[in-house]
Amino acid sequence: MIFKFRKQAFAPLALAGALFLSGGLLNPTPLMADETCMSPYMAKIDGQEDFVYIWTLGVEGMGDGQDKLVTVDVNPTSANYGEVINSLSVGGRNEAHHSGFTDDRKYLWAGGLDTNKVFIFDVHTDPAKPTLNKVITDFVSASGGVVGPHTTYALPGRMMVTGLSNNKDNGGRTALVEYTNGGEYLATHWMPTDENLNGAEKTGKFADGYGYDLRVLPRRNVMVTSSFTGWSNYMMDMGKMINDAEAMKRFGNTVVIWDLHSKKPKKILDVPGAPLEIRCAWNPENNWCLTTTALTSKLWLIYEDTDSEWQAKPIADIGDASKIPLPVDISIRSDDKGLWVNTFMDGKTRYFDLTDINNPQQTYEKVIGSQVNMASSSWDGSRVYYTSSLLANWDKKGDANEQYFKSFTWNGAELEQQFALDFNAMKLGRPHQMRFGAYSLYAKTQQQKTRDLVKLMTQ
Amino acid sequence: MRITMAPRTLKVCIRQWGQGLLFYLLLSCASHQSGAAALAPGYGELGYTLAAPGSYTLHHLGQAPDASVLDEAGQPQQLHDLLRGKYSLLSFIYSNCKDVNGCPLSSYVFYQMKAAMQEQPELAERLRLISLSFDPARDTPQVMRLYAKNYEYAGEAGEWRFLTTASEAALQPILQAYNQEIQREVAVNGELTDDYSHLLRVFLIDPELEIRNIYSVGFLHSAILQADLKTLLLEEQPQAEAVKLARANIGNEPVTTLSKPGDNKDGYDSKDYHTRSKALISRRGQATDLFKIVQRPPLGLPALDAATRAGLSAEKIALGRKLFFDRRLSLNDTFSCAMCHVPEQGFTSNEMKTSVGVEGRSVRRNAPTLYNTAYPQLLFHDGREFQLEEQIWAPLLAHNEMANPSVGYVLQKIRALPDYQGQFEAIYQRDVSMQNLGDAFAAYQRALLSADSAFDRWYYGKEENALSTRAKQGFRLFTGKAGCAVCHSITETHAVFSDDKLHNTGIGYQNSMGIRPAKRKVALAPGVFVDVEQRLIDTFSEPAPKDLGLYEITQNPADRWKYKTPGLRNIALTAPYMHDGTFSTLHDVVDFYNQGGIANPGLSPLIKPLDLDATEVDALVTFMNALTGSNVDELVADAFAAPVGDITRTDPNWANQLTVPLAGETLRSLE
Repeated sequence: MIFKFRKQAFAPLALAGALFLSGGLLNPTPLMADETCMSPYMAKIDGQEDFVYIWTLGVEGMGDGQDKLVTVDVNPTSANYGEVINSLSVGGRNEAHHSGFTDDRKYLWAGGLDTNKVFIFDVHTDPAKPTLNKVITDFVSASGGVVGPHTTYALPGRMMVTGLSNNKDNGGRTALVEYTNGGEYLATHWMPTDENLNGAEKTGKFADGYGYDLRVLPRRNVMVTSSFTGWSNYMMDMGKMINDAEAMKRFGNTVVIWDLHSKKPKKILDVPGAPLEIRCAWNPENNWCLTTTALTSKLWLIYEDTDSEWQAKPIADIGDASKIPLPVDISIRSDDKGLWVNTFMDGKTRYFDLTDINNPQQTYEKVIGSQVNMASSSWDGSRVYYTSSLLANWDKKGDANEQYFKSFTWNGAELEQQFALDFNAMKLGRPHQMRFGAYSLYAKTQQQKTRDLVKLMTQ
Repeated sequence: MRITMAPRTLKVCIRQWGQGLLFYLLLSCASHQSGAAALAPGYGELGYTLAAPGSYTLHHLGQAPDASVLDEAGQPQQLHDLLRGKYSLLSFIYSNCKDVNGCPLSSYVFYQMKAAMQEQPELAERLRLISLSFDPARDTPQVMRLYAKNYEYAGEAGEWRFLTTASEAALQPILQAYNQEIQREVAVNGELTDDYSHLLRVFLIDPELEIRNIYSVGFLHSAILQADLKTLLLEEQPQAEAVKLARANIGNEPVTTLSKPGDNKDGYDSKDYHTRSKALISRRGQATDLFKIVQRPPLGLPALDAATRAGLSAEKIALGRKLFFDRRLSLNDTFSCAMCHVPEQGFTSNEMKTSVGVEGRSVRRNAPTLYNTAYPQLLFHDGREFQLEEQIWAPLLAHNEMANPSVGYVLQKIRALPDYQGQFEAIYQRDVSMQNLGDAFAAYQRALLSADSAFDRWYYGKEENALSTRAKQGFRLFTGKAGCAVCHSITETHAVFSDDKLHNTGIGYQNSMGIRPAKRKVALAPGVFVDVEQRLIDTFSEPAPKDLGLYEITQNPADRWKYKTPGLRNIALTAPYMHDGTFSTLHDVVDFYNQGGIANPGLSPLIKPLDLDATEVDALVTFMNALTGSNVDELVADAFAAPVGDITRTDPNWANQLTVPLAGETLRSLE
């Protein structure tokens, strides 16, 4: 068969890492996956991932001080399991943050929130040894002043890049910037402001023009964006910022619903307190997405009501807001029944049961480290990886500044650590976002790998 | 709507599809393992309203690559010849494809398009459908002809081509050119099967061979294709330009004042706060004659001295302005002067107490406004510089500001930037140097003269009604009971509102001694606050900066925590206030002086309790609000007209010259 469809249906190229096992050992029940956080247009790894690519921030005075793409071998059958097998320094400290594959999953686009460079890595020629093939240096000048390339999101044959800021005041007003897969600039789609709503309806009090994350629901022709803060704040020392009343006014309070096809904003929803990551449901009957507000510490439901109108409502508290737990990365199960939520400040990963989507309950938590940011889960949900860094100048100071990559297994009740890598000790820097790589994704390498594996199994 | 294999959908299939095709579809569905696999949207109704054709733009995604193909008769053709002259929808398929949401989907949607062609003559005339096989071994021209027969039921109008290639070798360059990754499926024994994995992509190509859209499984639907085609057809019409213009201006409202942050947060402390955000694309302005302003400063300002005036020219000011807004004049190309001295924020920053520089490094002091910076004899809050021409090197070279590693680095960088070629030579008769660079920067900053405020028109212009009664009361307090004018001086002919001296008010002392409340009120959202333990904040705070003011320059203990008296013109535009931005409002500032500053051993004897009542405090604030110059919008508009310098592809940046892929270090070398 050609396409392996899970319940979420339209993932066009879900390739089994270990294809021959698909009738047997793969557990088809509850899936939880960072893979489900990816663009629905993209090829998926639904077996064992071979690598985790970690977009890592350089630290002044540590090692070579540069941002780097760090490749960790995570396949338990590999001789190099649990080791850093490649480190590709890209020049400078760019505020490495998020990354995303093109829809063919051949290239990984990784943005620098500070220098506005977008680094394009070839991850298909040799998935174990990515190479840096192109750097988009003119993101700001080409886009008309957008700063802070954040989410690099695959659309068919092109990439949508969310901005966080602008080159006029380093504040939060910004835009989405569209590129071809080849890295050619196409268009700038400004976030709606009061002065130019661009046809959108301001449903509440806010039309701040801020941006952060982006997800799509093609079946509803919907694109959803959230809103964080501008360069001035995300680059500022976090303590300095929280002590600065003016700075604390510069956070996003909106989620925007867009027409995916025309790339026009349709509705601006009030979601106060810096809504960050967005994850959309996969089941066709679930026309909703989730986001968490970093400052107000709430889980929000962005949903289409029975009148086909999009709305937003808070559905759960995350920790104690007065202690600023800072919910950061989230990861939804592919059956839409559960959600991991990391809170940076207390280093906890929290599991929310979404059985009743209007009333989620936290049912599990575990301290991963002194600080925690990103969580990435394998397609089948049995492996979860964590990294520590939030932003260079927001990370904790002194001994609390642990910088790690940790691998866990999840049996549905308990997370169990498999291995951990100390990025401070290895002089690598601050590990941020993770993306998975696998030989199975690429024709040239997959066939040979499969034959090797068959040979191994039959010996 | 739900996208499932509903009986109704099947009936539609039966009605619309030929018998052979229906059999094929059912076979495909039956053979599909995943019972839960839903049909792609392309098989059903759209379920949502599309944006109206012509209301959006389809961008040029690059030229459609050419290829050598075989037509249904087995004749060699060039793909470009088949694409040219009409809009084309190009899909890669293979006839053996079993996945219902793969090739059959694209063929089904093409079938729908062919059906639409029967009803819409323009579509039949302007559109061509092309299905191109990527399985040349099986899909010979003969097989493609047979395959085509499945779709004849749609009707005769319109063109649908079924192409293949002569061989795998002929196909490969096409797949590569169209980035069609295909992968032969591998069976359990590791052998290749007849099936392929591929990423379904359908290309919309215009008559000039430009790709205008790419569709995948979740977004391949005949309604979408038709809307896109109509959009492209509308674009051909003569009024298209006017439509584009109208699109760009949807919802625009006129901007009333330029001298306000584009992201206005007034009232954020209240739950009633609502945004008044400006659009960045509307941040445009008209250049003004700055040279004329320096020749004749506005009412209330002294004339610049003759030597300074003689050294200025319109060309120097223009060059200085370009440099001022050029973010490339920093180590990592992200920082210009204007990032801290933001024109619409009073040429300072309203958005933070103390500045941040390259890589977000903390600067310990508030960015001073650059309005009327031609006049002070002392520069920086601690008065450590004396000439604007020299002052510029401090931020250019400071590690926590623009972070350039050396003077020579800055000069070489400017020499290499294409857009500065010949500019210094034309004005200074030599290439860029430490001196002329400082001169150009200073020229622009000296031109930022702003006065002719309500106060000036009343006090110097003798317009009795120019100033309100409350402001006049404030002026009397300012020069009398409150004693402000002792430091913020006013003369009979002009006023810069500064004695150019440094004073200890106690703010610096308080910071150095770490005097602060145990909890801080922190805004989480408009009108939503929490009290946060300062100890918690300390866990993610860098150490507090050390700042001893003038003492750092003189080493005289008597100069501890002394800072320069700032001018007060345009003070309403330059919040937050004091050398560390400690106060958000002018009311806070007046309250601070009214209580007599903060007691400390070096407190200036001029700072003492003022015994002002609330009405008097208001009057003082009203007076200060009347110090906004009449030309601030003119200066801001001029700044908006300046280009903002950012890296282009022609800049000599190493990353622009990456021709060979950069490899990483492997495990062996890492060990």
